[in-house]
Amino acid sequence: MALSVGLPRMHKEAGERRDFLPRLVSYLDRAGAGDIVVEDGYGSGIGIDTAAYLGASPRARVGTYEECLGQEVVVVLRYPGRDVVRSLRPGTILVSMLHMPTRPERVELFAELEIRGVSLDGVTDDRGNRLVQNVEAVGWNGVREAFREIQRIHPRFAHPSRRPLRVTCLGAGAVGAHAIRAATRYGDPRLREEMAAARVPGVEVTVADFDLTWQENYMLTRLEQTDLLIDATQREDPTRAIVPNDWVAALPQDAVILDLSVDPYDFSIDPPKIKGIEGIPDGDLDQFVFRPGDPAYDRLPSGVRTKHRRVALACYSWPGLQPRECMEVYGGQIEPVMRVILERPIDEWDPELGSYYERAVARAEVCRWRSARTA
Amino acid sequence: MAKRPHGLSFGLPRMHREAGERRDFLPALVGKLADWGVEVFVEGGIGSGMGFRDQDYTDLSPLVHLASNEEAFRADVVLTLRCPDESEFLKLRPGSILFAMLHFPTRPKRVQLLSELGVEAISMDSVTDDSGRRLVVDSRDVAWNGVEAAFDALEETWPDLRTPSDRAVRVMVAGPGEIGKHAVEAATKYGNIERAVRYAREGLRGVEVLVVGRNLTGDEDHMRRSFRATDLFVDATQRDDPSKPLVPNAWIADLPPHAVICDLVVDPYLLDEDPPTVSSIEGIPQGNLDQWIFMADDPAWDRLPAGVPNEHRRAVASCYSWPGVHPLPCMELYGTQLAPLLEVLIRAGGMDGVHAEGSYHERALHRASLRAWVGAG
Repeated sequence: MALSVGLPRMHKEAGERRDFLPRLVSYLDRAGAGDIVVEDGYGSGIGIDTAAYLGASPRARVGTYEECLGQEVVVVLRYPGRDVVRSLRPGTILVSMLHMPTRPERVELFAELEIRGVSLDGVTDDRGNRLVQNVEAVGWNGVREAFREIQRIHPRFAHPSRRPLRVTCLGAGAVGAHAIRAATRYGDPRLREEMAAARVPGVEVTVADFDLTWQENYMLTRLEQTDLLIDATQREDPTRAIVPNDWVAALPQDAVILDLSVDPYDFSIDPPKIKGIEGIPDGDLDQFVFRPGDPAYDRLPSGVRTKHRRVALACYSWPGLQPRECMEVYGGQIEPVMRVILERPIDEWDPELGSYYERAVARAEVCRWRSARTA
Repeated sequence: MAKRPHGLSFGLPRMHREAGERRDFLPALVGKLADWGVEVFVEGGIGSGMGFRDQDYTDLSPLVHLASNEEAFRADVVLTLRCPDESEFLKLRPGSILFAMLHFPTRPKRVQLLSELGVEAISMDSVTDDSGRRLVVDSRDVAWNGVEAAFDALEETWPDLRTPSDRAVRVMVAGPGEIGKHAVEAATKYGNIERAVRYAREGLRGVEVLVVGRNLTGDEDHMRRSFRATDLFVDATQRDDPSKPLVPNAWIADLPPHAVICDLVVDPYLLDEDPPTVSSIEGIPQGNLDQWIFMADDPAWDRLPAGVPNEHRRAVASCYSWPGVHPLPCMELYGTQLAPLLEVLIRAGGMDGVHAEGSYHERALHRASLRAWVGAG
């Protein structure tokens, strides 16, 4: 029997404007969904009228947040929180970014409540590559905003006689790769074209990975020559900063710091977790730029050293800065995921012999994931 | 129990271009084809370059048969990684499907010939998702294998590399695109994780990677100044104008004598074409799977086309097919990438059942087909 689908909005912060696009509703219709319930106001954050969703499928209708949560399959990009999960009916399939490896309590909650889940960040191909991800937007959006700040700070930013700008990127992994490319283009291809046409020297990016970042002398010398410092690392030990706050003093006064790894501070554990670059605030879609005098510094846990400050950028969800483009990417990526969910009963998915996407989605299903780890 | 043969048959001829070409599709992929119910004709000796025996394939299923090269080319679907010589196209049956790296955009004569022969072709390099991202590609191995070879050469040209000192190894990567991004990561690990671990134990300083894009690669002063402090230069650029080198030979004089040049672009010298194509780094030899490291005194320089400036020479790592340097992981990757596409092709019964508005992999296959390419043209 056709499964009904609910598309509730995300109500985390005012700046969260993302909703899936009407194209997904159209796809769900073609893939055999039953009722498709979109929350009142869905899409309004990105300028899409409700009528566009209703026009995408004769089975689509508008409902309240609670009605959306009452459907058999609930699709929402960011994890909606413990209280919302507790309000779901047993057997509901929640499709969301669940981050199971780092949030074991969510897995146990699903088991306790008999909620079924598909973790979008866990949908991987046979080689372990994520099929639903947008690290490109993390790199590009963060770097674009950082260069806007540099442009604001540097009076000679667009002058042909200035030297090339110097970016230091810590980390050369997936996020770092996009950040490096973005940085060579000011995070904005159009700005890059304008600067090239005006014969303004470009940007050189120096990449240092963990075999260099722990060496204080090397790092202090490098930081002294840095206009933009990017943290794109994945630390094995989040209790140790890569750039302690003392080192921030080595950066020029007008340098900018960009945090793409977005590890949070957590002083509820001992030793506490701290950010890779110590002393910069946590950001979100409501505020992601922090100048040295920003009151956000005063709200940091008392154990965090913040004496040395530069303009810093941090955002829990960098892709959300360009919500429409972001949801075009995610929408296209989850279409084949939804086809699996709608075509076959969840207990029949075969992680070994199913089709390519059936295997990928089965790997991301909470019960199977939990069983594999407790076996 | 043997599966009932499906309508399609598959042929897997070997690649006979150079002695160093050791790649063939692996038993794992052939086993999947048989599991999906198709007969598979593999050319004798398949996999031998990677240590496999014919029985490793034929023991998989009664649907897998040993065949001659010609028989493999007579199957309904001919699957081979590199494009066969165009003279071999005549072995294909009209209506059969050639699935290989066919490079439609840059090979108009090939497109015309395949069309005239009535061959259904699918170009692996054109298989893309809805956002244009290639689904059959091994850019990671291009970068890692190339950078690994370059560090092999650097160990030869620069004994101080392994002397603990205060200075990091300096790598410069030009072009931070799809290949360049992997080159950056590879460079931070000396092109090889085991080497990075070994060097770390020896107390070596690490690698600093300088990345430059187009807005600096054309700046002669900046590039030559940077070259003076560069131990390894990696070219991962995509030029707008392949008739002009990115790095004129004169600039190479600024690299230290021990420096190594790593060519990941590997554009050939086609001086008779109009417009001509020249190597991105002027005056370096182009390698293949028989030889990919060239020290500065290698006779390969004497074989460069007349008129190509090559006065300034440094050790070079260059290979037309970098992924083939380590054939097994390369073919594991390609096998994994191709499997869902082949599964869809088989279930569709051939290209007539593959629709532009179909599933994710159907759409990808359709975009890469000759019929779509010709239709769009």
